[in-house]
Amino acid sequence: MRRFESLLCAVIFATASTGAHAASFDLPPLNAPPSAEHHAGKVVWADLVTPDLGVAEKFYGGLFGWQFQSVHAGGSDYAVALLDGRPIGGLVQKPIPPGEHRQSAWLTFIAVRDVDMVKRTAVAHKAKVLVDSKSYPRRGRQAVLADPEGAVFAIVASSSGDSPDYLAEPGDWIWSSLHAKDAGTEAAFYQDLFGYDVYDLSGDDGLEHVILSTDDVARASANQQPDNAPQRHAHWLNYIRVQDATDVAAKAVMMGGKMLVQPHPDRHGGLVAVVADPAGAPIGLMEWSENDTQVAPK
Amino acid sequence: MNKIRYPLLAAAVVAWTLSGLSACAVTGVGVEGDVGYDGGYAGDYYEPYGYEYGGWGGGYRVGPGRDGHRDDHGGGPRGGGHAPAYRPAPAGRSAPSLPSGSRGGGRGR
Repeated sequence: MRRFESLLCAVIFATASTGAHAASFDLPPLNAPPSAEHHAGKVVWADLVTPDLGVAEKFYGGLFGWQFQSVHAGGSDYAVALLDGRPIGGLVQKPIPPGEHRQSAWLTFIAVRDVDMVKRTAVAHKAKVLVDSKSYPRRGRQAVLADPEGAVFAIVASSSGDSPDYLAEPGDWIWSSLHAKDAGTEAAFYQDLFGYDVYDLSGDDGLEHVILSTDDVARASANQQPDNAPQRHAHWLNYIRVQDATDVAAKAVMMGGKMLVQPHPDRHGGLVAVVADPAGAPIGLMEWSENDTQVAPK
Repeated sequence: MNKIRYPLLAAAVVAWTLSGLSACAVTGVGVEGDVGYDGGYAGDYYEPYGYEYGGWGGGYRVGPGRDGHRDDHGGGPRGGGHAPAYRPAPAGRSAPSLPSGSRGGGRGR
């Protein structure tokens, strides 16, 4: 009898200690080592949702030299993308249900101090909550929103702080751009959320382009979409720093990707291109060298 | 021995109960959104399908300028003559650029 009760106690203790964690999905921190800095409004992370993790890893690993660390738990397969051992993004595999058409895409994460407060502000300014706020102990708290034009983005209060402001290395994220029908109104929405300073840099293409900055650092741009094609929707686009955008874009096509925007000089003097990965997720390529010459406004 | 056996059993039951309450707490009972663990990742959101990306004209510029670059920033949108929806940065300030400091050890690609 005593042996039975001891066994019963052992079973109960074991159940108690494992029950809360049986289905855990413990995402790693965004910064390793952690940072003491916080930069609200900075794009600090990106997650790719894709139907085939293996294909995506081969594409991005071959293109940018990323390595991957798998996190298999619960109902999700997630891989952390590493550049020189440092986490820079995530890839999550999610099957597309038969008969449904959905677009693989990179989800842009913007740093905040208080996810729930910013979420409420966003909703008050006509945003929609796509995935409600959720905490992952080591990553932090996050939510997925759609802005007033429907561009999808995420906000995150990182448990490991925000990365310091360095110039991105080749292979790392260097820039983000928002493309929308009304760039000015969208800029006002994001300004209300993140306190951006907004600079008008519209060119002679007749379209509105603005730079969004905090801490006297350019964080992103908001750009009016050309209205020559009706099949457009508002979206965020993230750029990887490359040394030769023409070469990397050609390689992307050879590896099963697609050219969306041919390499062409941008405002800073380097080339910018946009490609799609094999699942169709758009990704930008941006050259940024110390030798580029500023492109004069037309 | 009974004095030892029953408290042990009671402690085990209390631990099991607390574990159950803890599970309730981490799934977000009574709080905004969810807190803590669950069975999967909650950021796996697909975009709508069937839209076009790209199609930019040659003069479509999306990046930042160089440091100290003023470009044509004039405190509001050009050409329209109407006040912008956003609060523009003061007209005398240059649009900032990317940070210039390197993390160190950059690679060629």
